[in-house]
Amino acid sequence: MPKARLIDVSKCMACRGCQVACKQWNGLPAEHTTQRGTYENPPELSGSTWIKVEFTERPGEWLFRAHTCMHCTDASCEKVCPTGAISHQGEVVIIDQEWCIGCGYCVQACPFHVPHKDEEEGTARKCRFCIDRITNGLEPACAKTCPPGAIQFGERADLLSIGKRTVQQLGANGHPKANLYGEYEMGGLHTLYVITDSPSVFGLPEAPQLATSTAWAQWLSGIITAGVVAAIPFWLLFRRKKQIESEQKSEVEGDVR
Amino acid sequence: MIAWSAPIWIYLWMAGMAGGAYFAAFLAERFTGVVDRKLLKLATYVGIPLAVVGVLLLVVDLGSPLRFWHLFTQFKVISPMSMGTWILLAWVGIAIIMVILWWVGNRLTKQTASSLRSTTGFLAWINLVLAVLLIAYTGVLLAVSNQPLWAGTVLLPSLFVASAVSTGVAVLIITALIANTISRGSLVELKMAINQLFGSTDWAIPNRTVARLAEADVIVILVEIVALIGYAIWLGASSAAGTGEALGLLTKGVLAAPFWVGVVLLALLIPLGLEITNWGKDIETKGVWRAIIASSACVILGGLVLRAVIAIGGQI
Repeated sequence: MPKARLIDVSKCMACRGCQVACKQWNGLPAEHTTQRGTYENPPELSGSTWIKVEFTERPGEWLFRAHTCMHCTDASCEKVCPTGAISHQGEVVIIDQEWCIGCGYCVQACPFHVPHKDEEEGTARKCRFCIDRITNGLEPACAKTCPPGAIQFGERADLLSIGKRTVQQLGANGHPKANLYGEYEMGGLHTLYVITDSPSVFGLPEAPQLATSTAWAQWLSGIITAGVVAAIPFWLLFRRKKQIESEQKSEVEGDVR
Repeated sequence: MIAWSAPIWIYLWMAGMAGGAYFAAFLAERFTGVVDRKLLKLATYVGIPLAVVGVLLLVVDLGSPLRFWHLFTQFKVISPMSMGTWILLAWVGIAIIMVILWWVGNRLTKQTASSLRSTTGFLAWINLVLAVLLIAYTGVLLAVSNQPLWAGTVLLPSLFVASAVSTGVAVLIITALIANTISRGSLVELKMAINQLFGSTDWAIPNRTVARLAEADVIVILVEIVALIGYAIWLGASSAAGTGEALGLLTKGVLAAPFWVGVVLLALLIPLGLEITNWGKDIETKGVWRAIIASSACVILGGLVLRAVIAIGGQI
């Protein structure tokens, strides 16, 4: 049975324990950042920050969401990876650090802006769902450390029903727009969210798309433009012109049919 | 974060020019019915270094350049970068074989040379198909992503293909005029080198051919303008997240100056104006000659700005 984690934003207090636990377990260095007028830090995920609490300020309200890899069932990063370095290990989407060449295509393809190129390591890096922990019966470091229990780890099916129940409770308690994110997106995410408002409020795409979903149309667009449209001017201007000219000049040097 | 910086967009521009020049040269000579293939040879000689230098830039820009060979362990149809790797390898490889066969052919008797010619003719056709795939790929690479400016429409490959053919034609015009000048000039060594490359003693691309290339470029630029307008309208009208903002970045945001000056003026309107005003005029005239060179230079520079603006804009 596939595992997943459920992040309930209504419980998150932005302590950022998950950020620290992730760095500790995975041996990731701290980042030098500058004060930019918010407690949110660092500004975005990076090659050495694999989970990060995003802050959204609204009048009278502060919204938090721990942002990390969704471990999509249909993963754009895996599809576009030209070397096959990105693959599924069960439900976990993992970048093989020994095989990644650091081309950065996964960075451009992810609908959630999760993988980042690390200049020092020379590879793309992101959350590995603590695969070394979860294959040994432990939960991921972020879930293990989360003080209010906003990050839960378990069977995906169980978490879906917990999530749906929470959404109902939130709906009845002043959050009519509460919903569960990730059940069907990208073929089913393995990081599920209970959110108290629409996805875009929390910086999540309303309708995430697989990067390769339009690939054939894109190829056709280029090929038709070249093969049909861009070929026309040459047909118009060069059609048997040489022959006519050389007949007029009557100086055929054997290079004209 | 800008993961794809200058080397990537310079590479897309160079690969586009290499493929575009080959495409234009092949079609021009095919439709004319020429067999000495001066233009195609010129396009191949220019295209090989363009593609090779472009690929080197790409490799240097990798996080782990020494692992570049991992690309050749996969043939992944769904990944444009994987397909691009093989398309480039095949195009450059075949182009090099064609060059070798031309050189060998120059040293053979007429009879053997003609049998060799059918082989190069066949390879030239394959490389035409590969050139089309190559210039399409430079757009598809960006379009298969989740950046609204790149993936928000299916017209980015159209725009890049039109630009690739336009810049390719400009490269042909400039190199043809330079080579013609050399072959008429007094530098004997250079003259001999060019004669060796093209296997003929009276090497020159006729002025009419150059003029017609410039005329063809007018139509290609018009196609590019239509593609750009379609692309912009589609982005503006799209309901997908981020497409409107992405368009605004080009038309009135931080990239507005390079977009309006570098793309709209330099790549499209200035060369269009120069080429239309000199349409049908004798290229031997100093003014016309200069105008054609100037418009080709604008097209080439503008093509680079187009790649830069789109590549950077997609990642902001």
